[in-house]
Amino acid sequence: MEAKAGLLELAGLNELQSLALIGMSKNAGKTTCLNHIITAWQASDQTRQLALTSIGRDGETEDILSGRAKPRIYIPAGTLIASAEDALQRSDALLEILELSDVRTAFGEVIICRALSDGYVELAGPGASEEIAVISELIRQHDPECLFIIDGALSRRSQAGSGLSEAAILAVSGITAAVPEILAEKAAFALDLLQARLVTPEIQENLMPLIISHPTARAILLSQGKHQIEHKAIELPSLVGFGLDISKELQKNSSILFLRGAITDQLINELLKEPHFANLLLIVEDGTRLFLTPGTAHKLQRRKIELAVLNALDVRLVCLNPTRSNGQLLNPEPLLAALRQKITNIPVVNLGPSNM
Amino acid sequence: MHSSVMITSDLLQQVGLPAVLEACHCRTPQGSRLKNAVRFYNDQSREELEKELAAISRLTVLITEKHPQIVEALTQLARLRELRGTFSRLEKGGLLDDTEFFELKGALIIFSRLTKLRDILISASVNFEDTSAATALLDPGGRSNPAFHIYSEYSPSLAEIRSRKKEVEWQISQNKGSQRRTLLTKRALVIAEEDQEEERIRWELGAKLADWLPQMQHNADACGLLDFRLAKADLAVRWNGARPKLVEQGLPAVLVDARHPEVAANLEKHGLQFTPISIEIQQGTTVLTGANMGGKSVALKTIFLALLMTQLGYFPNCQSLQTPLFEFFAFESSQEGDINRGLSSFGLEAVSIRDHYRRNKIQRGLIVMDEPCRGTNPAEAAAIVNAMCKTYGRSESSFFIATHYPVSLQPGIRFYQVKGIRPELLHQLPPYQERSASDQQEVSEPKTGITTLVKVDQREDLTRVRRIQNLMDYRLEKIDGTHAVPSGAIKIAELLGVDESLLREMLAAWQEE
Repeated sequence: MEAKAGLLELAGLNELQSLALIGMSKNAGKTTCLNHIITAWQASDQTRQLALTSIGRDGETEDILSGRAKPRIYIPAGTLIASAEDALQRSDALLEILELSDVRTAFGEVIICRALSDGYVELAGPGASEEIAVISELIRQHDPECLFIIDGALSRRSQAGSGLSEAAILAVSGITAAVPEILAEKAAFALDLLQARLVTPEIQENLMPLIISHPTARAILLSQGKHQIEHKAIELPSLVGFGLDISKELQKNSSILFLRGAITDQLINELLKEPHFANLLLIVEDGTRLFLTPGTAHKLQRRKIELAVLNALDVRLVCLNPTRSNGQLLNPEPLLAALRQKITNIPVVNLGPSNM
Repeated sequence: MHSSVMITSDLLQQVGLPAVLEACHCRTPQGSRLKNAVRFYNDQSREELEKELAAISRLTVLITEKHPQIVEALTQLARLRELRGTFSRLEKGGLLDDTEFFELKGALIIFSRLTKLRDILISASVNFEDTSAATALLDPGGRSNPAFHIYSEYSPSLAEIRSRKKEVEWQISQNKGSQRRTLLTKRALVIAEEDQEEERIRWELGAKLADWLPQMQHNADACGLLDFRLAKADLAVRWNGARPKLVEQGLPAVLVDARHPEVAANLEKHGLQFTPISIEIQQGTTVLTGANMGGKSVALKTIFLALLMTQLGYFPNCQSLQTPLFEFFAFESSQEGDINRGLSSFGLEAVSIRDHYRRNKIQRGLIVMDEPCRGTNPAEAAAIVNAMCKTYGRSESSFFIATHYPVSLQPGIRFYQVKGIRPELLHQLPPYQERSASDQQEVSEPKTGITTLVKVDQREDLTRVRRIQNLMDYRLEKIDGTHAVPSGAIKIAELLGVDESLLREMLAAWQEE
């Protein structure tokens, strides 16, 4: 398959320092995609090593929820991995322990290893993005040149974005929708959210000092006062369930609302009850924080609320896994055609099953 | 068993001991454990305390002269991890996993690096046992790096299995489809052999390492001790601590220019200086009197903390300090906190008075009381205070009390007072001037809710209180005989604008006394 051979060039991976894999659903094909990248990397003349970790747990032989067999991650000797103790015990590559990270997970401490032989590994990395930053730093100490790949999870708890990686690959499968047009619609919408536009430098300049000086504020509101721009930082335990606490602060002259955390339909619907939630710019940390359905996004549009992010996510590739949740293989061609029709600025590929 | 320090945890907090422990930065779990065990040295452990203080003193010299080994020691210590779990597994003959072997190897490397720091080890009186043989067990190829895996050098059989595995893996990388899948199955069989051999090696390696367990445990403890002593020496340097001199029983505790670290730091934040306190506390009773706002409570806490730190093996924040070793410390102050417990403050005081007295009958202690019986009727309170001063005056303990009640001159009772404000300075302050109501409203913020009940703006009053406070000389001076209660309280009331009619009554009443 020509896509496989040129995978590195197609996604522009050669020059990258870090990459996140994001799945649109569970079993979206992230691991298959990762295996393809590893194979392509090995086949290329790359002298840099790969370094792998995951947000949370991945790479187990079977899906913990469904019990169905999952693809495993097969790495070549020389690859660095950051994974929890229990997961390492289920790996069969010969692993040399380089460092203990002090980052703890439900599966034990995350350990930095180098593979001394080829073999299977199970990845179970940290759950929080700050911890991924710690791991990234440790990996770089051992190998400053490597391509650091984060097998991410698109969930409310943990995100692959937030400036942790330079670029991302989005994995989609027939689980999201088996009908080509619907799948294409959903994938294109997800990409729109992931790639929400970056705020302008002027706004960034105004907002960043406030974000830094209110590190625990869930929301920061900027309003045009009589003489100058006024701001209000709102401290809340979370965004979910506290929409009303935010909306009561909104004024007619509110122009920018920055929210830290997951932006869900429920939150937006709470905010929409407030008539002053209109004509403003809604800023989030990055596109992975947006968990909106098209209907909700449409409601925002009607209120003239624009979305923007502090950290842009550069999605390099969309990978299709043409299987449904029951394991049934779908004909990939119509799916690819529909996806390519909707998504024109990013390559869409079907990498097929990996050899593992 | 009695505790060595009789004090409520609230009061201990106020005295500032938790802040001392917090400021003493240990780098290893072993050192932190020693610190948190809070060992109290008494006369029976005098020699050990002398040894501890001498070691800290020698380390402060190395720290002050920025000896290059200090940075190296701190760097190595910061890498040491908790080893108790691994040691306990080794001791019980359990199977260690690769992470635990890695941890042990890391610790052994730290031990060997620290062993080379002769100057520090001699100064700290810490010694390490030779564990190089154990290090060699975890580095069979002599690679001298901290990484670890089950090396092929452990057994020819493992080396042979791995070479076969490598061959299969090479074939896997060259094949696709069904052939590749067959090879992957073949690899799985070799891996089963590898796993079995690795497991055998882990058992064997664990058994060999267990022979070195006493030495490894000794070295881990040595790291803890070195860490704790270095942390205490570092604290002594940062806080200008002095090495206390331990004197025989019966001799007085003599503190020169003692400072309370927490209070001093707070004052410095506001650009103010802590006035160092000097005092001699003999066996018997020492009474501290002085004006309101004179810093008596701070003085008691400063002295108590300095003496307590000494007996916990720290350098107190003093110019110099000498002290006999007390068998117990007691501090009682019903000033704060009790209101929340809803208990009678005198009731609680009476309990302390009882307990201190009983303990004093069997042991020599340092008993400090901050204005006892302050809420009791004055005649009875004076009687209680006098009785305690008289009784402890004859005891072998040191009873140190701050009080406003007049204490009569008796054998074994000595008097100190806060120097206070010289009357001529008070007279230099401009008289109080009432501000107009409109002035007051201008500065005050609009009030809502419960705040409407409280006083509008205290800024002016607080500034004035501060100005008076700035005139205060907090030093203590020894006085002969009973104190004259030269409080100047009425003058302070006048300077803060108490109405003239009320002041007249106050003066009249004072003269009648």
